[in-house]
Amino acid sequence: MITTFFGQDALGGNAAFVVSLLIGFGFGFALEQAGFGSSRRLAGIFYFRDMTVLRVMFTAMVTAMLGLQLALLLGFVGAEQIYFLPTIYGAQIVGGLLFGAGFVLSSWCPGTAAVGLASGRLDALIFLGGAALGSILFNEFYGVVAPLASWGDSGVKFVWAALGISAPGFALMFSGVAVAAFWGAEWIEKRIAGAGPFLGSPFLKAFSVTILGAALAVALLPPGTSLPIAAPAESALLKGMEAGVDHIDPDELADRLMAGDPGLLLVDMRTPAEFSSFHIRGAVNVAAGDLPDFLGPYKNRGTIVLYSNGMTHPAQARDALARLGFTNAYLLTDGLQGFMQQVLKPGSLRSEPLTDSHAARIKAWRTFFLSGLPPPAARTAAIQPGAGPRLVETDWLQQNIGRDDVRIIDLRPQPSYNRGHIPGSVRMDPEHFRGVVGGVSSMLLPVDMIARHLGLLGITPQTTVILIPTENLHDATLVAIALERGGHLRYAILNGGWEQWTFEKRPVDTRLPFIPSKNYPVASGADDFTVDYRTVLAHSQRRTAVLLDVRPTDFFSGKESDEGRAGHIPGAINRPFTADVSTSNAITRFKPLGDLAEAYAKLIPSTDSSVVVSCRTGHQASQTYFVLRHLLGYRQVSWYDGGWAEWSSRPELPVESGLADGPLPVRTAGEIESERRETDKARPNPSPVRPPAPAIHAARTEGSSAHSSAATCQTDQLLAAKHGTHGASDDRPCDLPNGGVRGTGAHDRWIGQTSRGAL
Amino acid sequence: MNANASIPSTGPKPLMNPYLAGVLLGLVLLASFLILGVGLGASAGIARVGAWLQSWVMPQHVADSAYFGAWGQDPLRYYLVFMFVGTLLGGLFSAVTGRRIQPQLERGPTASRSRRITLALAGGILAGFASRVASGCTSGQALTGGAMLVTGSLLFLIAMFAGGYAVAWFVRRQWQ
Repeated sequence: MITTFFGQDALGGNAAFVVSLLIGFGFGFALEQAGFGSSRRLAGIFYFRDMTVLRVMFTAMVTAMLGLQLALLLGFVGAEQIYFLPTIYGAQIVGGLLFGAGFVLSSWCPGTAAVGLASGRLDALIFLGGAALGSILFNEFYGVVAPLASWGDSGVKFVWAALGISAPGFALMFSGVAVAAFWGAEWIEKRIAGAGPFLGSPFLKAFSVTILGAALAVALLPPGTSLPIAAPAESALLKGMEAGVDHIDPDELADRLMAGDPGLLLVDMRTPAEFSSFHIRGAVNVAAGDLPDFLGPYKNRGTIVLYSNGMTHPAQARDALARLGFTNAYLLTDGLQGFMQQVLKPGSLRSEPLTDSHAARIKAWRTFFLSGLPPPAARTAAIQPGAGPRLVETDWLQQNIGRDDVRIIDLRPQPSYNRGHIPGSVRMDPEHFRGVVGGVSSMLLPVDMIARHLGLLGITPQTTVILIPTENLHDATLVAIALERGGHLRYAILNGGWEQWTFEKRPVDTRLPFIPSKNYPVASGADDFTVDYRTVLAHSQRRTAVLLDVRPTDFFSGKESDEGRAGHIPGAINRPFTADVSTSNAITRFKPLGDLAEAYAKLIPSTDSSVVVSCRTGHQASQTYFVLRHLLGYRQVSWYDGGWAEWSSRPELPVESGLADGPLPVRTAGEIESERRETDKARPNPSPVRPPAPAIHAARTEGSSAHSSAATCQTDQLLAAKHGTHGASDDRPCDLPNGGVRGTGAHDRWIGQTSRGAL
Repeated sequence: MNANASIPSTGPKPLMNPYLAGVLLGLVLLASFLILGVGLGASAGIARVGAWLQSWVMPQHVADSAYFGAWGQDPLRYYLVFMFVGTLLGGLFSAVTGRRIQPQLERGPTASRSRRITLALAGGILAGFASRVASGCTSGQALTGGAMLVTGSLLFLIAMFAGGYAVAWFVRRQWQ
């Protein structure tokens, strides 16, 4: 089996350049030997006086065609090792017509003109200058001609497939036509110019027989001939089967699907009826017969996973695809049944004992795959760039560099960017999206300003934005949250960031990209996740959400402080944002999803629980927001932008310090409502409704309690006005005569409730 | 090749049998398929030299342009540029050993120099432009794609001869 430079993606290397030079040498030598260093001779074909172009060109085509078919048939080379030109009907027909006109005017074509120049022809030099100029003109008018150059783009199309015959069959036909053309050319040359030196010659007879014989031999090789050379491919297939490398386990598949792996294409081979009744989230339904066509674009790009109920059909399909040159098709181990057993079966029904982490993984899987939500995007979105927030791999990015609909944003400092960056990327400081809003600094800008920013970055709603982080993943997530406020969910963060890119020695550039300004529509209302301190206070008082403070623990506990007051929002729990990432070889990534799911399952009751993330200014919390919302599938995550910087500076807001024992019980809206009714009924009875809250070790910092109650009441009233229906009960604490007489520490949080109980 | 003792040592040696030259060309193309994994090409090399030349005059403009810009800072670091240089060298080697180097502006006996220069230039511009539209020329599309049995490349081949024959009559005088 041959591995070509193209197959190794090594055409850009020095070795390929040397080989190209040698092959070019052979090319030039053959052209010159054919007499193509003369424009007069080349022009001859258009006036039927010298048909050498036809003789040489058709012979070369037939020779290479038969040789290539033979190499493919014998398994000498795999089809995936060769770059097959795409068919672009409009471009090739119009381009062909224009090119033919240029050919006859100048009597040169690019390859022959090189040989003409080498033979001292001045007109070849003029042609080459003109051709360079024509290329420059194409570039200058690219905006106008680009649609023509891609007009009728149909991917790789073979003429034999269109005619419904085999490739060797067509090659035989073509050889027959070529031989007829040779005889015709000799004849017409004799008639027009009195030449035709080979007409009826023993040489042409022998040559014709040789060509037809060779073509016939290739065509008569039975398809799938197991010649010795072909054996390694089959034995490799069998060895792979034995080693199980052609399988993907349900666990791995589930994790990759949850992570939104952009290189994964999951194919359901069952009937449409079965598919519509249930399928693995994100799968595409393709009948076995349609697989080669459908999967063509994904051949050896990304990972294709096939599944059906069992494994027989996918295994046969996989083998067939392997023979077609696919090296990236895999089977789901034990099919859909295996997936049901290993991924979707509830932990409670499993016979084997489960570790906590395994139970958490199962929970996360079940939430993701059984949520009943439509998959993030339709059909092949898994490999398309359009899918929503997620991580992408460097491979994907490299394949998509240069696309108009992909904008790469580099978040490193300016000097680092200037020294080298991913080609086409633009540098941006994440702080560009923040400013003073309502007297609070470092707040995310309003949506209209974000939209304007996006426009300046050349982004439209169709653009896929790729964020390139450094070791600070929260820089990327801060920009991400700005994108989300702007209503732009087509974005992804490069997994491993700049360090991964350079570690893999991928292309780097120092030039500025060309970014035309666009108009980005203002998507008011897209931001349904940002909450202000009033909402956070309400959650804090009523325990209606998990308040996740992601600052370093010493800041959370109050041991260290950069603010007027130290500590945290009463009732908040601490999960430092740094606990979600790990760094090795200087490459920082999110921790494995299973680990993250497990860690958060301990802090948050379910993926439907209401969660508010906060830090000092909203920067670090944006990372936890991304993790919870987009990597782990938590559905009700809010982001408190103001964070501790704002909270601690509003003296009316309560503060707590020290470390909590663990997460506090969170009540659902239903519980709150029923509790309120009970409280109303039980008003004469002063017994508390809820058990006492877990103790907080350290006392809260003093100093603001004297006037805090009044302000809290104001806040509550504001909230009440906002949520009209709950007003009657919500504003009740404000009427309490003892509102200002608060106990120490922990009980602050329960003021509304305990007061209510006391009534 | 086919050195013939009866030809005077000063004149050009005879050309190879065109059918055998075709076989040789086909084998070179096949070698390209099996070693490089891609076919032959010439026009891309010229276009990249064009981009390189233009970037001497207006570097920022070329870097910012949509088509040339995508070729990066060094458009010459591309296998087809090396192949083009190889083609020149191979042609030179063959022409020198065959004593076929004849510095001249090749034209018909009665055609004027200016007619030939104008047509060569106009044809060059047209062919250079068209080869960018079709992503290839006689070598990159017709020969390579044709041998691969690619539908679009065979259509290019047909269109190329159709375009050529359609215009041939109007410019016949440059060869008369």
